[in-house]
Amino acid sequence: MRVENNQRRQMAMMSLPALVFTVSMIAFPFIYTIWMSFQTYSSTGQITGWGGGNYRRMIDDAQFWNGIWITFYLYALSLVMQLVLGTGLALLLFRAKRLPGILRSLFISPFLMPPVVAGMMWLVILDPSLGAANWILTSLGLPPSDWLASPMMVVPTLAIIDTWQWTPYVALIVLGGLQSLPPSVYEAAEIDGASRRAVFFRITLPLLLPTLVTAMVLRSVDLLRFFDLIYITTQGGPSNHSMTLNIYGFRQGFEFFQLGYASALMVTLSVMVLGAVIALNRLRAGVEW
Amino acid sequence: MASISLRNVVKKYGAATVIPDLNLEIEDEEFIVLVGPSGCGKSTLLRVLAGLEAIDGGDLMIGDRRVNDVPAAKRDIAMVFQDYALYPHMTVRQNMAFALEMRDLPASEINAKIDAAAKLLDIHPYLDRRPKALSGGQRQRVAMGRAIVRDPQVFLFDEPLSNLDAKLRGQVRAEIKTLSRQLRTTMVFVTHDQIEAMTMADRIVVMKSGVIQQVGTPEEVYEAPINLFVASFIGSPSMNFLPITLEGEQLRLAGGDSLPLDSGLSTGVSGPDLILGVRPEHFEVVPEGQGIPAEIMLVEPLGSDTLIHVRAAEQDLIARVSPDLRPVAGGSVFLRPIAGKAHLFDSATEMRLIGKNGK
Repeated sequence: MRVENNQRRQMAMMSLPALVFTVSMIAFPFIYTIWMSFQTYSSTGQITGWGGGNYRRMIDDAQFWNGIWITFYLYALSLVMQLVLGTGLALLLFRAKRLPGILRSLFISPFLMPPVVAGMMWLVILDPSLGAANWILTSLGLPPSDWLASPMMVVPTLAIIDTWQWTPYVALIVLGGLQSLPPSVYEAAEIDGASRRAVFFRITLPLLLPTLVTAMVLRSVDLLRFFDLIYITTQGGPSNHSMTLNIYGFRQGFEFFQLGYASALMVTLSVMVLGAVIALNRLRAGVEW
Repeated sequence: MASISLRNVVKKYGAATVIPDLNLEIEDEEFIVLVGPSGCGKSTLLRVLAGLEAIDGGDLMIGDRRVNDVPAAKRDIAMVFQDYALYPHMTVRQNMAFALEMRDLPASEINAKIDAAAKLLDIHPYLDRRPKALSGGQRQRVAMGRAIVRDPQVFLFDEPLSNLDAKLRGQVRAEIKTLSRQLRTTMVFVTHDQIEAMTMADRIVVMKSGVIQQVGTPEEVYEAPINLFVASFIGSPSMNFLPITLEGEQLRLAGGDSLPLDSGLSTGVSGPDLILGVRPEHFEVVPEGQGIPAEIMLVEPLGSDTLIHVRAAEQDLIARVSPDLRPVAGGSVFLRPIAGKAHLFDSATEMRLIGKNGK
């Protein structure tokens, strides 16, 4: 008994640092944010009131609903592009089998690049008058675009940049999934007379669904919290056309010092991320084989 | 429903030649078992038949059609894989329907075929389950069902029993044999298990290093193995081999003991460099002076009979004896090959020498 107690105490001691770290770095800020979301603050940081006012304010705030819309628009567009292109790329890599090391490094380099650097790079490429993108378009005889400066194009452009950066990541995940599929199943399909199209849509794709959902979970968390690239390139503009919930919350908090309202926005965003993860995990259970 | 001819078939993987030059005629409705140790080319041969591997030379005929360049899907064959290769995301019914859907058969016909096969294999209760929810034996049946619904000209089996436990293996073995009678289709079955080969085959093809050693009925390969390899591979426990010198009518064993030459073995050959082959079940225990003295090292009772591991004539031998003998380790017995059951091999060519009696 004494030995067991002793052992338990030692175990508690050893896990204490991790526990302290988790509580101070994750649980405390999160709970504190929830607490803050129920306060109203003066511009000097004094608490001026308490209650659900911040949440009531959201319901009537057109900018909040705009933020939700932009967040989901950017999320859906980016996710679809990354999954489709990532799967395509993975299939190509899977067929190629052996890839020279230099090509592989080149291929994964986008997602190793810090988003800030990527953002700067794309700002240059997409510059309406000096950038390479419009030069290519016009030399092909196509009309130039304002890209990030265009209210219509800003979200698709951000989605393209994020897709450029994160498609290789999705492709690596899908490639892992492809490599773990049983080869004899493909031989059975060959003998069963399945065309390439039938093999892809009736064998490969259904077998890859669990992997694709995993990739969706990982990308969803990032995409719903999309921040750094937007902050570098548009800061929510032009005129709020790329103002995601995250950017809106950041500006409310750190530009207008509406700390309570900003916290309420962030709590709402967290609930959305959590909801997406739960929904996708349910989906994964459904496609597991 | 089709014969198969392999003529001068060559298969290479890169620089390595797996099958140098293979000839084999398989008759219509025949149950052929390809048997041999790992790496003997039996599975490669099956994959060649299936069309999963292209051949590098020779001709491959199914029926009277040359199928060298015919893709797997068009060969009208069905294959049962070692790991069953069921589509894991499909139900049993969908698994069985897949090949038929690929042929654009009407749904009513597909369902009728599935129902018939399910009845034959007794898998009706699982039709709506996925492979994950089935036991090994059930998956094995589904794999066969998927082959049967296609009503192919040839069935190919790639070690389909190796993932089953011993008891189930015996049961499925009997089922496949029964099934082959009912379906009356050409079947090619690959195994490394000589018991499966013996029990199921119409004819056994024994392979080693991509070369066919012997083709024959189970009785033929057991009773008249063509060489040392076949003799040691077929039969369990393996045949015992004793180096001997033939001196007139006496077989001189290592260690100085001798046995009288069995009249059936007399070949006219004499001298050293011969090997006497005796199966464990072909030793008889005899009174002192009539056989070779053997020291019992280990006793393995099997119930119906008992295996004794003995040291005799400077060799480790195994003999299958009656349990009534009550042998004990450390004791000794006198053993003699049963008349007409021993074999003589040339140790240089490793071929069996045919006796005067033609056997």
